[in-house]
Amino acid sequence: MADHAHDHDDHELAHVATLKTLLATGTTLLLLTLLTVAATKVDFGTNINLAVALVIAVVKATLVVLFFMHLRYDRLFHSVVFVSALLAASLFVGFTLMDSSQYQDTNIWNPSTPPAAPVGPRPVNG
Amino acid sequence: MTTAHEEHGVEHDLGHHGSPFVQHHYDDAQHQFDSGKFGIWLFLAQEVLFFSALFVQYVLYRVHHSEIFNYAHKWLDVKFGATNTAVLIFSSLTAAWAVRCAQRNQRRGLIACIVITLLCACTFLGIKYLEYSHKVHEHILFGRYFDPCISPGNAELLTQNNECPGTKSTIDWDYGSEKAKTGCFEESKIDVDPNQPGVQADCAVAEITREKKTIEDQKTHKEVETWVEKSRRVIAARCPEPHLPEAGVAEHEQFPCWRPAYQPVVCPDLTDAEARRHGTAGRPQDGILVEYGDSAERGEDIVIDATCKAPAPATAQSIELLASNNGEHDLKEGQGAIHPIHIATEEDEFERASLGPPPEHTGMFLTIYFAMTGLHGIHVLFGIFVFTWLLMRSIKGHFTPEYFGPVDYAALYWHIVDIIWIFLFPLLYLIH
Repeated sequence: MADHAHDHDDHELAHVATLKTLLATGTTLLLLTLLTVAATKVDFGTNINLAVALVIAVVKATLVVLFFMHLRYDRLFHSVVFVSALLAASLFVGFTLMDSSQYQDTNIWNPSTPPAAPVGPRPVNG
Repeated sequence: MTTAHEEHGVEHDLGHHGSPFVQHHYDDAQHQFDSGKFGIWLFLAQEVLFFSALFVQYVLYRVHHSEIFNYAHKWLDVKFGATNTAVLIFSSLTAAWAVRCAQRNQRRGLIACIVITLLCACTFLGIKYLEYSHKVHEHILFGRYFDPCISPGNAELLTQNNECPGTKSTIDWDYGSEKAKTGCFEESKIDVDPNQPGVQADCAVAEITREKKTIEDQKTHKEVETWVEKSRRVIAARCPEPHLPEAGVAEHEQFPCWRPAYQPVVCPDLTDAEARRHGTAGRPQDGILVEYGDSAERGEDIVIDATCKAPAPATAQSIELLASNNGEHDLKEGQGAIHPIHIATEEDEFERASLGPPPEHTGMFLTIYFAMTGLHGIHVLFGIFVFTWLLMRSIKGHFTPEYFGPVDYAALYWHIVDIIWIFLFPLLYLIH
């Protein structure tokens, strides 16, 4: 705590993370890595296994952002910038998933088996 | 305000702030630091969007073709992936620690942290090199270079170009004696009966004959030689209708040699496309009949017809007996036992899935894998350059509590690289 008081006295340019926070975050991240590997050994069913892995990944990423990247102590505006990027990214993924069932089946061109001709009237030119 | 600015400007010129790296066009060290920090956060936001394109591709493919991911992820080694995750997390810790050291004016600590971060980054790329080189070696590659030599279960696959290292998939033809010396089907566990998958026997190729058709457009000797060399690399398998053993009929001599359930990719006719799509491919359909040569171009075929010696003829009776014995191996003598060496269990069936041929379009997994880990790897490489630069500056003692922006910004960049790997690891390596 003496360190902490000293940090504030010095009028730092930015928040100084305590060693304790850094080490605790690092250890937690390594333990979560072990946990996520261990979780795949247990069969919960494909979807739940995926959900567990993703939840652990999100927790890990949050820890990195909050403590390693100091976002918890940083300006609110930096959080706004970062979170809006995450929102945009999740929009991309979400919208892609929303209509992905409307796509044609994967069609990799093979000259020996060309796809069937389109059904319907020939488009009128001009 | 103007006066205030001017005053600050004078202060800068006099080096009042203690760091010669605080630029004139900023009010003070705080202003410079904050501007840089805002800039790096904008850059990180852009990085998130940049990578999100690849994540969209991943999600789309995984939703549509989960069978590809379930099959192909077994090519990736979790041990490598987990080690790399740990290495990156540790380097993230030292990067954050480096920032703290710079803020506290601990030059030695700063140098040590940067060196450890650099070593971790190099370790990461070293492990990545091991992974990539194995995949290059086995042709487990992206796009049209996807032509795997082995399945995830390390079963040998017959490839399009047949250029696999150490593979037995080339029939070594002795042109002097007109006989094959060795062949790809030399020895393998082979299903004795297509209707009884899992009843397997060790089968050795007894005979390989070559059927030579008239060479109509033979021009020069040299040209034929060239063609022979070329044709040896081009393998296509032709598989006619299944030949089922009839009950009670002795077929010692010409017992059809059922190929393993895993049919080579080059033999699309062998397996039902729909079954391959769902990863359940591979009812054995035929004895070994391999056709060599680009016959379409040359108007000629060399057909190598390999037949296998089965241990004993299978009869409907013996197969029934096997089934009723329920996996036990103590078949009585004289009951037409076919000496099965292995009867498949459910576990075997599960293993068999990773021994089989890739489902259709499996190359897309590798395309996604290489695109995502490759782009990430480039970021790691760039991080190495940046941290090397930071190392040189920190040795020169440039960084002080007044001026440590570059350390902080590089650390932030390094953390985002770490975060991306935190997601890539479960998405690519830990598919269940």
